[in-house]
Amino acid sequence: MIDKPFFDTDIAWCPGCGNFSILKTFDKAVDAAGIDRHKLVLVSGIGQAAKLPHYTQANVFNGLHGRALPAAVGIKLANHELAVVITSGDGDMYGEGGNHLLHNIRRNVSVKAFVHNNQVYGLTKGQASPTSDLGFVTKVQPHGVLSPPFNPLAIAVVEDCSFVARSFAGDPKHLQEMMVAALQHPGGFALLDILQPCPTFNRRNTFKWYRDRVAPIDDSHDPTDRDTALHLALTWGDEIPIGIIYTHHRPTFESQFGVLKQGTLVSQYRAS
Amino acid sequence: MSLNIRVAGAAGQGLETTGGLLVDALVQSGLHLFSTQSYMSRVRGGLNWYDIRISDRGLFSGAEKADLIVTLNEQARDWLRDHLTEGGLMLFNGSEGDGVIGIQFEKVAKEVGGSAIMANAVAAGAVFAMLGYDLAHLEQQFQSRFAKKGDEVVSGNIACARKGAELAADHEGRLDAPSGADAPRAVCSGNEAVGLAAAAAGIKFATAYPMTPSTGVFTFLASVADKYAILVEQAEDEIAAINMVCGAAYAGVPAMTTTSGGGFALMVEGLALAGMLELPAFIFLGQRPGPATGLPTRTGQQDLKFAVSAGHGEFPRAIFTPGTPQQAYDLTRRALETAHTYQSPVILMSDQFLADMRMNCTGLDDTYRPIDRHLLDDPSEDYLRYAVTDDGVSPRALPGSKAFVVLDSDEHQEDGHITEDLDARVRIQDKRMRKLQGMAADALPPERYGPGDADHLLLAWGSTYGPAREAVDLLAEGGGPALLHFPQVWPLDEDAVRAALDGRRKITSVEGNATGQLASLLRERGLIGECDLLLRYDGMPFTGEEIARRLTS
Repeated sequence: MIDKPFFDTDIAWCPGCGNFSILKTFDKAVDAAGIDRHKLVLVSGIGQAAKLPHYTQANVFNGLHGRALPAAVGIKLANHELAVVITSGDGDMYGEGGNHLLHNIRRNVSVKAFVHNNQVYGLTKGQASPTSDLGFVTKVQPHGVLSPPFNPLAIAVVEDCSFVARSFAGDPKHLQEMMVAALQHPGGFALLDILQPCPTFNRRNTFKWYRDRVAPIDDSHDPTDRDTALHLALTWGDEIPIGIIYTHHRPTFESQFGVLKQGTLVSQYRAS
Repeated sequence: MSLNIRVAGAAGQGLETTGGLLVDALVQSGLHLFSTQSYMSRVRGGLNWYDIRISDRGLFSGAEKADLIVTLNEQARDWLRDHLTEGGLMLFNGSEGDGVIGIQFEKVAKEVGGSAIMANAVAAGAVFAMLGYDLAHLEQQFQSRFAKKGDEVVSGNIACARKGAELAADHEGRLDAPSGADAPRAVCSGNEAVGLAAAAAGIKFATAYPMTPSTGVFTFLASVADKYAILVEQAEDEIAAINMVCGAAYAGVPAMTTTSGGGFALMVEGLALAGMLELPAFIFLGQRPGPATGLPTRTGQQDLKFAVSAGHGEFPRAIFTPGTPQQAYDLTRRALETAHTYQSPVILMSDQFLADMRMNCTGLDDTYRPIDRHLLDDPSEDYLRYAVTDDGVSPRALPGSKAFVVLDSDEHQEDGHITEDLDARVRIQDKRMRKLQGMAADALPPERYGPGDADHLLLAWGSTYGPAREAVDLLAEGGGPALLHFPQVWPLDEDAVRAALDGRRKITSVEGNATGQLASLLRERGLIGECDLLLRYDGMPFTGEEIARRLTS
C-alpha cells in the first residue's frame, strides 16, 4: 500500500478535487485485487484525470488526448499477461475518444477503463464535456449546453459490454468495491464510470449534488439482465444508481486468436 | 526486343485472373517480365487493364502502348484502338471484324470445358498462339493451380487453352515475341515484397484501416498471420491504428500499420507521439494522388514533403523510398532495423505503381529472421526510460520486469514522468534529436546508374527508379544522362549526395508530382540550386520511353 505518491512530483490537481479520493482508492484497490505493480500498466490520455498514473507506482503509457483506448488495446494484445488499466476523464474517453469506446466495447479486449466523469473540462478551464447536463452554463456555452448528455453506460449495455458499473468519488468504500470488481472481472472490457466533483469548474454537480442523488443498486438486481440494466443505465436525475449495472459473458478478443494460444506475442518473439 | 500485352475490360470481368495467369505462365519460360495495372475506383464496370511486358532483356518500366491488346468487352475494343503500336494486334472477346480478331471466350469455354469460368484459359491459349509460344508453360499453370480441384478442372482448362490457341492459329496475325532469356522464374509485387519482408523480420502486430493502394500489404500480412504468428486486426480508424501500434511497440513487439495519404494525415498526431515516446513504430505509406480523396486507384509521389515534416514539434524519423519490389523487400527490413536501433518512427513510402508492379524476383527469403529489438537484458529497479546518452539512444526496457517503464506524451524527465522543468525540456529534446545524427550516418546513399561521365543527371526517388533507368538506357547512345536514385529521402547522406552531384552541369528531377518535392528538399538542404523538373501527376506512372521523349523534345 502506498501512503503518498511514490515519485517526487508536484500534483497538478486543485485542492478538493475528486481525483485525490480516486487516486487513494485506486491504490487500495490495486493492492486488494492482488495485482503486482510491475505487471500493471496504467494508460491515460490527456486531462487532469489522465495525470493519475504519474502519482502512483506502475508502468505508465500516458499518450494522446482521446487515444488511451487504442494504446491500451495494443499493449494488452502484445502482452496479455499485463494488467492494463485506463484512468482518464470524460472528455478523453467519451468526447475525443468516443469512436474507440464504441468499437472497443465490441472488440472486448480485457482492458479496464476507469473514467473520472466530472461532467466538465477541467484542464482547458471549464467548458462543457460530453456528459454535461442540459443547460450547463460555461464561458463557451453562455446560454447553456444545448445537446443532451452522452450516456456511456447505456451505450455500453446496448453493446453488450462485458462489465458496466458506476461509482462515486465521494464514497471511497463503494468505489474501492467497484474497482476491485472491475479489476477482478475475469475477461473482457470493463467500463467503470466514476462520478467526480470538480470544485473549480463544475458548481452545479457538486459533492453535495452527487451525494444527495447516488443510490447503491439493490442486491436483488441481476446484472446479467439486460433490460433492467438498461433501465438503471438510463436513470439519471433525482436518483443516480451506483453499483454493478451489467455483466455479460462472451469470449474475449484475445481468447479468439490462435496466435495467442502459444503465449503472449512478446514472449513468442523472445522464444524465436 | 520487348513486347507489351494489354488485357482490358470492365472491373469484375476477371482481368486479374487472366493477367495473373499469363504472368505466371510467361515467367516460367525465363522471360524478363514487368506488369502493371490500371484500374478505376469501382468494383464493377469501368475500363481497367492489366499490362504484361516481356523481353529478352531486363525490364524496369511499363510501356504506353501495347503490341497485343486483349479486349473483353466492346467498350475496351472501341476505346483502346489508339493504344495499339504500329503492327499491333487486337484480340476481342466476340465476333470478328474491323481489323479485330474475334474469339468468343465464354462460349468456347462452355463448349470445350463445360464452364464459362474457363474463358481466361481460352484467352491465354490464344495469346500464347499469337506470340508463337508453346503451350507447355501455360498447361503447367493449370496443373499447379487446379491440382486440388481435380483432374477434370485441369484437363478442362488445358482443353480450353488448346482450343483458344487453335482458333487464334486460324488467323493471319502473328507477333514477333522475345525468347531465349534466362530471368528468374518467379515474380513478386511491391506489396507482396513489403508484407513478406515485414513478416520475416518479425512483425508481430499489424493493424490498419483499409485504404488503396496500401491494403495489399495488410491483406498479405493477414494471409501469413498464422504462419508467422502475427496478430492482424482491422482498426476502427487510422487514429486507432497508429495508437495501437504505439501501444504494442511499447509492450515490446515490432508493430506496423499500412495506409495512404488521407489515412496518414489522420495518423500524424500519433506519429508525433511515437517520436515523443521514442517508439519503433513502422508505417507503410502507399501514396496516391491527392489532395483529399484525389484519385483513389491511381499513382503519384506527392507526399514526400508531407512525410518528411508530418507531426507537430520536431523529432527524428527515417523515410525509405524503394524503387522495385526487390528493393521494397530489402528496405522494409532495414526500416524495421532502423526503427529499433533508434527507437523512432520509420516510414516506408510506396505508391500504386510500385504496389501492383510485378517483376522477376530472385526468390525473396521467407525465412523467419526476427530483427534485434535492442533491449536491455536485465533492467534494474532504478531504470530510467529516457536516460541521457551521447548518441541520444536510451537503453530500452519493456513493461513487466522489475523496472517500471514510464512514457509520457507530455515533456518528461529521464524517468518518463511529466515535467514542466524547462531545463529538463531542453536536455531531453537534445537527447531525442541527437538520434538523428546516428540515423544520418547510417543513411543509404543515393544509387547511381548510367554513364560515369554523364554531364546530365536525372534525380528520382521511389517507384520512378525503373522508368528513369529505362530512359537512361534509351538515351545511352549520344551522351545521354545518368540517374541518381534516392532509396532513402530522410535523413539524407548529404556527403554522398554532394559528391554525386559535384560538377554536373545539368540536373533534372523526375517526379510524380506537380512541384518537384525531392528537388525542393535537396535545395532546402543546400545540396542543389535551380534544376529542371520533369513531372507527371495525371495519376499514371512514368514510362521509360516517355521520360526519354520528354528529355529530348
